[in-house]
Parts: sequence; structure tokens; C-alpha cells
Amino acid sequence: MNTTAQTHINYYGNKPDDEVTSCGSKRQPTSRAHAARELYFEAKSSVSIEFPYWYTRRWEALDGEIPIVRRAEALKAGFEHLTPVIYPGELLTMGKASYLRGSYPMPWLSEAFFMAAEDDLYKEAQESGKLTADSFTTMGKGGGNVTKSAGNVISIAGKFGLRLEELPAMLEVAKKWKNKSVDDVGHKYEQLVPGYKEKEALMRSVICMFDSGYTLPQGREVMNYYYPLQFGIDGIIQNCHDRIAEVAGYPDMDRIYFYKAVILTLEGIKHWIVNYAAEADFLASIETEARQKTEYLEMAERLTWISANPPRSFHDALQMLWIFHVAVLNEDAISGLSPGRVGQVLYPFWQRDMKNGVIDREKSLELLECMRIKFTEIDCFASMGVVGGVLSGNTFNNLCLGGLLKDGTSAANELEILILEAGITCDTPQPTLSLLYDEKLPEEFLLKGIECTKTGTGYPAWINNQVAMEFLLGNYGHEGLHLEEARAWAIGGCLETSPGSWMPLELDHEIHWIPGGSAPATSVGVHFLNLPKLLEVVIFNGMDMRTGQRIFPPHGYNLDDYAEIWQAFKDYFSRACHVLTLANNIQHDAWRKISPSLVNSMLKPDCLTKGKDIGQMGCRYNTTFNIETCGTTNLVNSLGSMKKNIFTEHNYSLDEYRKAILANFGYKTAKETGSWSLIDQVPGEDHHLWKKIHRQSLDAPKFGNDNPFVDNILKEWEEWFCKMAHNYRSLYDQPMYACQISVSTHGPMGAVTLAGPDGRLSGTTFSDGSVSAYPGTDKNGPYALFNSATCWNHAESQNSQLNMKIHPSVVKGREGSRKFLELIRAYLRKGGFHVQFNIVDSRMLKQAQADPDKYRSLLVRVAGFTQYWVELGKQIQDEVISRTEYEEF
Amino acid sequence: MEQSKLSSGIIFDIQGFSVHDGPGCRTLIFFKGCSLECSWCSNPEGISFFPEPLYRVSKCTFDGLCMNACSKGAISSGCNNEVGQLHFDRKFCAQCLTHDCAKACWSGALNIGGYEISAGDLYARINRDRQYWGRGGGITLTGGEPFMQPEFTFDFLKQCYDNYIHTAVETCGNVPWENYEKSLPYIDWIFFDLKSMTSVQLPSTSPPPVRLSACPPVPLILDNARRIAQEFPGRLIFRLPVVPGFNDDTANISATARFIQSTGRNEINILPLHHLGREKYNLIGKTYYTEDFIIPSPEDLHEIKQQFSSQGIKCYTGSETPF
Repeated sequence: MNTTAQTHINYYGNKPDDEVTSCGSKRQPTSRAHAARELYFEAKSSVSIEFPYWYTRRWEALDGEIPIVRRAEALKAGFEHLTPVIYPGELLTMGKASYLRGSYPMPWLSEAFFMAAEDDLYKEAQESGKLTADSFTTMGKGGGNVTKSAGNVISIAGKFGLRLEELPAMLEVAKKWKNKSVDDVGHKYEQLVPGYKEKEALMRSVICMFDSGYTLPQGREVMNYYYPLQFGIDGIIQNCHDRIAEVAGYPDMDRIYFYKAVILTLEGIKHWIVNYAAEADFLASIETEARQKTEYLEMAERLTWISANPPRSFHDALQMLWIFHVAVLNEDAISGLSPGRVGQVLYPFWQRDMKNGVIDREKSLELLECMRIKFTEIDCFASMGVVGGVLSGNTFNNLCLGGLLKDGTSAANELEILILEAGITCDTPQPTLSLLYDEKLPEEFLLKGIECTKTGTGYPAWINNQVAMEFLLGNYGHEGLHLEEARAWAIGGCLETSPGSWMPLELDHEIHWIPGGSAPATSVGVHFLNLPKLLEVVIFNGMDMRTGQRIFPPHGYNLDDYAEIWQAFKDYFSRACHVLTLANNIQHDAWRKISPSLVNSMLKPDCLTKGKDIGQMGCRYNTTFNIETCGTTNLVNSLGSMKKNIFTEHNYSLDEYRKAILANFGYKTAKETGSWSLIDQVPGEDHHLWKKIHRQSLDAPKFGNDNPFVDNILKEWEEWFCKMAHNYRSLYDQPMYACQISVSTHGPMGAVTLAGPDGRLSGTTFSDGSVSAYPGTDKNGPYALFNSATCWNHAESQNSQLNMKIHPSVVKGREGSRKFLELIRAYLRKGGFHVQFNIVDSRMLKQAQADPDKYRSLLVRVAGFTQYWVELGKQIQDEVISRTEYEEF
Repeated sequence: MEQSKLSSGIIFDIQGFSVHDGPGCRTLIFFKGCSLECSWCSNPEGISFFPEPLYRVSKCTFDGLCMNACSKGAISSGCNNEVGQLHFDRKFCAQCLTHDCAKACWSGALNIGGYEISAGDLYARINRDRQYWGRGGGITLTGGEPFMQPEFTFDFLKQCYDNYIHTAVETCGNVPWENYEKSLPYIDWIFFDLKSMTSVQLPSTSPPPVRLSACPPVPLILDNARRIAQEFPGRLIFRLPVVPGFNDDTANISATARFIQSTGRNEINILPLHHLGREKYNLIGKTYYTEDFIIPSPEDLHEIKQQFSSQGIKCYTGSETPF
């Protein structure tokens, strides 16, 4: 989610600045985690071709095999051939590929990018050799991103480095998938959808941002580690053999192929673990330092054990959890694979170890810090547009804390306190944390969460447990989800409410009900609709005025009252949802046929029971497809401005607005100024002609100020959208639902959208989230914003998103913590689903200084002082900045 | 209480989620108009009693729309036009009821600071915030000086108090006793500012002198403080803005400590001088003269705190308060 991307503005991909301080006490990780983190900072995003090479080779060899078995054999070959690499000091080991920040392309999903870029890549390869090693080192500027080719390394998709000698193999492998990849096959068949041309127009005009079937077909979901934790790899394999014996020859024969495929895949994973165990043994044999030698030996023993058996200890269990997390990431292009409620899943193991004196808090904290580093090392290889445009390089492995147990009591435990503690001492981007707030959670736990939020890491985000449960009961009831099961939920991805199940983990003859994900990917389906652009198309009767192309046939309304604008918008929006749903269903069908999920399927209840993979609705819950939107606040503000200025006060006609929009209110376009930021927009020569209409547009009521005139428009939109989304049905013939997070799409989607009736200028970024105010327009403080944000029932949507910026002065000290908790609690009690805070650091304040209007709502509090950030002059801002740095408030 | 009987007043801001002016999370209401005119004031737009133009020169496009709109001709391009700043004859602005200038401005440079609101409407507005305060929150009246609008303050405080809202006020003390009298039973918490024990003026080398409005406010302020300490049953916390060179000397601090002892109360919140209000002086066409004043160092503040503590007075520095 964008918010997280912005949150880590002081961090992501870069070393944290020493001067960045905050209202919480900055603390340091253990020396082990510190060393690992330093190593991470030095590492570059690197692509290796091992896995896809062996995958493709095996796939080619098995032409004619049952598809799911062929897929499993290919995965097995990939896992078996991953070169094991273990770093000194690691307590948890293994990763996606042989590089520290390694990943690899999956041409079976889409090879088009490599085909299109082939010539360029070869050119790059030639050029790169001419550059010196010096220029290579300057790439550090972009954090771990390899943005330029140099030396022996080629830059791919502006982010990943590939060793020159692997380039021919990569292109060769990619070619094998031409016309066979999910992308190509899906495209061939999606064209059969009536009105397909409209779908293409929607994509070209960036009213819709992404196809979902071949980009990131899995993810935004919660993992479930129950089976390996309970039965071990051999246990699952045995179970599959038993099941095959039960079903072989009986109707619904697809089940035997599924079980066979699971066995093959697990054999590959087993081999992969054993390879690491052998490497650890080898390293131990040449290690001279006694402690490190012991650690390698212990690691070898642990890996050997869990390559077959269920974990014996917390450390075993954490290693096992990590292995299966990575294994899923290696079967598909995935973002937002969330480990879920790890502190509750592993609690039985931890509790037993604590009781038996096998582990202490200190050691636990160190392990949890190591886990943070591991999750941070995850890279996702996807095309440039997806990685940059949606994810901002973030992988969203969201770890949830709190919530309720199966019996409805507080689920918070001591291990979760340690997870929060590790989030404070070892602040890395992943896993990001979300606290599932419930009235039943103990104060001590909540204040620990506050302590963590106050360090300025951006996590935990605060999530409303009851609202999520209400959403799940409303949308999964028809699949049998009931209240008790609703309590097992967690956030999948950045902010997607995902259903879970309670699994009976038996340890020492005692049953512990642990929560885990129980549904496939979400945020698949209609993948971001650009609401302000769609309004623009309404205003211009079906045309995209930026490109001059027609998107839809004329809507047939005169638009001479507000109701017609609203109706025309609903018509076009529905039309877009219709064609996009159908086309994406076909893409996902290609995905499940060509690249069915095996690792994720074997983990998710009830695939193993049913003998069906995720694509065959093996999961207990399958209603996960959704319609995602972007730019809600700009849409609502624009409708509000039109309602007031055109239809209520009759200040302007719609035609005058059309002219003003095309003239960009007399401003130069973002393209002319070369910047998409609000602050850099400059008036053109005839700005004076548009000054009045622009001011009146800006002055029209804006969302976030507790003004019913515009808040009611939001309410009307939400109530309509959240209902109409159910009219569309997914590939699995389930109703879809509304999902309202912008991730990072509000940048690129704003870039293609002309000025709006709300006064927003052409090409500039939209408001983020779905209930965040447009920067600078919430002028009445947080309580007014809360009232506006909760004017509709958030439980009707999969999520809503509110991001706030707070200066450390507001929340400093013990009293500050308590008051901060009161603020959060008050919003959630009012029905808010999510709130997340950027505790601003000096760097963000410097941005605020450059762009004060955008930071109008930045909360700065000083006794007896009323502040208008935008009116604070540079000197004052400097002072606030220096105070921030030195914590003098 | 019948809404129609409630009086109206002039305020210039309502700020939710304020965390340093009383217990819990609070909504602050800034009253317009003050009986003092301290040169370090961080809310200078709260000093005059009437709504006034706030002029942001950085946004001004000098299109003359506001000049044409003003029927009093109070706006001119100034004598030294090259500076590129409009000049407002604030004499006229103080009497203006229409504020046509701000209505005519399309560049966002002109706003009006301060507006009239009835106690009933203000209460309704506060009621919205109430659901968000959480435990221990409430309202704090500040400004400006709330007790320069005693009827309005009384009506509003009583309504809040009767509806179980925690009420706090911050006062400079420079008002006739009658202005407090009626409201006292409806207040839970008072911040009482003690700026100096004597009417000090700095040497004339730094014109114009740092001042506490016209003399002699000090006896009145101290009298009010004594009486409130005696008659007010709620929590009374004195506040002292620490202005180096003006009131941070040992003599003044120990006189202040002795005075607080004599009232029978024992809490003070010292507020280090800051310059965060500087830019707001430009908005209302004033000059900020306290610019060069040093901000007290943590060491200075620690020393002052020690002085109070040694006299048995609990001293809280800035936002580091136990409430």
C-alpha cells in the first residue's frame, strides 16, 4: 500500500539517516541482526536464472503429461537446483534464490517483457561492458535497486541486476514460453469477451491499471503453516499417498493427479532443504571459529530434521515457517504474501520452550530480529509497471498481532509483545505489522503497540477487528463462515481483509487452536479503476481527452442536473466493471490451467482434504475476487464542486468547466513542468482567466471537514459501489466485493488524468487511500476528518484506508502514549477500519517545507499554540525541523 | 438551557486533539481579544477583539480585486510598492463587518481571522469532538483571553459542565474579578499565567520594549490569582512563559515561587519561549520584535525547575506534564 511506501520514505531501500530521530526511543538490534542488516544494505536486487532454467527444461521434457503433474515436476526441478547459500551468523537460513536479495522471472506467467526488450537488453549488454567499476558503485544511490547496467551486470526492469553470462539463457528460456505463457494464452481467449475493444481502451487510457491473471496471480492473502508444523513434510507426503489409495479409480479422478503433484513438489522442497543442510555441514567443516562452527552444525541438524519431520522447538518451527513462506513465493509472482498471526501460530512452541528453559526472551528477540531481516530480503520480480507503479518496491508481508482467539477472548500474548519489541529494535521494512484492535485486548499490549508506532517506522497499522469480522460474516456467510471462524482472520497483503480458519495444533497431547489463512489470493479481478478519470470521461461524453480516443459510446445524458452526472458515472463505472471482470476471469482461468498453485494449495485448508488445488476451489473460502478503486476522494471532491458550483449556485456552466479542465485552470501541464508534484505546478500566461473558477473549485466543500454536503456524496458512492460490486461474479462464480486501497497507483493514475472539478491540476497525484483527505484540504483537524471518514459503514468494503501525519511533539512521553492510544481507539470505535501514522521525521518536514499546502493537516501541537502549518514561514519550519531532530519539544 | 438565550462570542480557532493543555485529549477553543499585548505572544491574531484580515503575501497575485472590493479604501499597494506587499489600514479593518476583500480574493491570499459563534453552536461543535476525546479529555478555553468575553464564556462553560464535559481554561489574569466570578463553579481546571512579579521593562536599547501591556496589570493579576486559589475548588496550575532576560532571573523565579506558596497551591508549568508564532505577525501586519530572544536552553529550564522544586512547588517543563 502506498502508505507503507511513504512511511518508509526515510528507510526503504536506503540506509536510515543517523539524524532521523523520533518521539520514541531509537534502539538498536542485537549485533547479529545488525550485521545481517548491514549485509542487506550492501546487497542489490539480483536476478538469477537457475530456477526458471530448470523449471522450463523439465517442463519441455514432459510434453503430454497431465498438466498439474507436469507443473509439479517442473517446480520440483526448480527447487532441487537452487544453489544453497548460507551467510555467516544466520540463525534462519534459505531464500528465494542464490542471491541475498534474489528473485527470478517466471516466463510461464509472462514472457512478453523479455521478448519486447530483447534487442535493448543485448544493446545494454554491449554498453555495460564499457562502464567502469566506479560507475557501478554509484548505483548505491537507489538503495538496492540496480537502475543502470554496468560492468558485468545488466539492469532489468529498472530494478534488478542480471549477470551478463546469464542473459542468453534467460532469453532462451523466455522464448520457450512464447504463445504458451499465461499472459499469451489468456490474451488469446479474453478477446472472445463481447466489448473486448472497450477493455483495451480502458487499459490504454489507464482507467484500469493492470491485468491480474498473469501479473501477480497470487498474494494479498494469509499463509497457513499448520500442516508442515503439525505433520512435517514426510507426514504430508504420507497423507497424500493414503489419499491416492482412497480415490484412485473413483470418480472425480483429478484428485489423484493433485495428490501426486503435491508429493512431487514436496520432494523438490525436501531436496532443497537437504541441499542447504549439506552446505551447512560443509561450512562447519571448514569453519575455524568455534561458535560459528557450532551454529553451522546446529543448522545442518535442524534442516535435516525438518526436511522430514515436524518441528521440535520454537527455532525449528520458525525455520519451517520461513521455508514454506519462501516455497510459496517461488511458485508464482507474488506480492503481499502475509505470514498472518505468527505470534499466535508459534506460541505453543515458544511457550513450551520457555517452560523447559530451551529458550529465553533475549534469544527469542534475536531470532525474531533475524526473521525481520529474512522477510526484508524478499524481492518480487514482476514487470516494471507492477513493481514500481503498484508496490513501490514493497512486498507487503504483513504480520498481524492481537485480535481474538477461537473462544472470543483476547489473542494477544507475550510472544507478540516480543514481535513488537523486535519491530522496535530492528526496524526493517518487512514484515510490516498490523495490530488487530479489539476492545478485549489488554492495555499493556496496546501501549506496546503505541510504543512501536511512535518509533516512526509506520507500523503497526491499527485495524478494527470487529469491522473486519462483520465484513467477513457478510461476504463469506454463504460459504459457511461463522462467527467463531471469522475470528481467525488476518490482513493479507497491505490491507486486504482475508478469511482464516482455526487449526488444531497438537503438542504434547494438548490441542492449541492456531489461526491461519483459508482462502486464495485477493486483489485479483478488477485491478484498480481510476475514478477521477472515469468522471472525466463522463464529462466529455465517452472520450479520453488526453489521448483523443473514445472509451465508451456517448452516455446519452445532457448532464443538466447533478442526478444525470451521477447516473452517467454509475453507467460508465458498471460498464467498465463488466468487461474487466469477464476478461480477467479468462486470464485467471489460463493461470489455473497452465500454472496451478501447488505449494500454496497444499498449505491451505481444505485443499488436501478435498484433493483440489486453489484453482479448483480447494480452499474453504473462495469469494476473494474484488473490484479495486483509486482516487475516491478526488472523485467525491469533484462531484461536490460540480454540485455546488454548477447545479446549486450556478456559478458556472458545465461547458465552462469543460474549458477550464482542458485549460488546466490556466496552469502549465505537469508534462510541461516535468514534475507531477503539486508544488511544482506553475501558472501559465492566461492563468488570470481561470483564477476565479479555480479558486471556487478549491473552495468548494472538501471531504475531511465534517461537511455533510460533500460527505453525503461519499456516503452515496460507497453505499452504491459496495452493493453493485456483488453483481459481478468471479471465475469461481462467487460475488465480488469492493476493495479500496490505492497502494501506489494514485501517482500513475493521477498522471494520466486531466484537471478535475475539485481544482486538482492535470497530471498531479491523487489523494491516497480511500478515506484520506486530499493533501491540504482537511482544515479542521483530526476529529472532523474522523467524522467524515466514518460517514459510511466500513464493514461493507474489504477495507478503507486512512493515513495521517503526526509530529513527534504530539505523542511524546508517557502521557503522549496514552493520548495517542485514545485517538486511535476513538477512530476505531467510531467504525473506522484502518488508521496508520507517519510520525514525521526531519526529512519529511523538509518536504513539508517545500510543499506546505500539502501538509496542511500535519499535526503539530505546542501548549497553548494554534498552528497553521501552511502559514508557518520557512524560518519557523526550520525551527520545527531542528526541534524534531533534537527532540526538544 | 434554551439556545436562543445563549450569547455569542468571537473566536479564531478550534483545535481538536490538543494534548498539552489539560488532562487527556482535548479540544481547544481560542477566544479572540486579549487584555494584554505581550510581545512574545505566539497567537498574535488573538490579541485584537474583532475579526481581521490575514494576509499571505506569498499567495498574492496583486490583481487589485481586494482593493476594488473594499468600500473603505483601506487597502493600498503601500508606499514602497517595490516590496510587493499590500498595506491594510487596520483601523478600518477593525470596524469592518463585511470583509468584502476576502470574498473578492481568488488567489487564496486573504482570509479572515476570527468569527462570531453562539454558545449553543459552539457547544454543538464540541459535541462532535467529544466522541473522540477518550478517557480524561474535555475542552480548554484559551486565546486570547476567554474572560474578556465573560457572558459568552459563562454560557458555554455552564452548558459543557452541566453535560459532564471536563472544562479547563487558560487565563492571563488581567480581567476584573467579576468576569471570573459567575463562571468559577463551572470550571474543573485552571491554567493561570504568571508572567512576572513586577512590571519589568527591558532597557530601551531593544525597541520597542518587551511589555506586559499597560501598567499596572500586575497587582490585578496577582489579586485574581490569590482569590482563585482561595475560592476555586478545582485544580489550579500556574503557568510561566520563560522569556530569557525578562522573567527568568533568580529574583523573579523565587518571588514567583514565594507567591505560589502564599496561595496555598503548589503546581507550575513553565513554558519555554518559542518563535513558532513569528510568521503570524506578518499575516496581521505587525512586526515580531522578540525575534532575537534566545530560546531557553534545557539547562536553564532545569535550573528554574530546581528553584521551584526547592520551594516545594511541583514544576513541569513544557509538554512534560503528568496529565
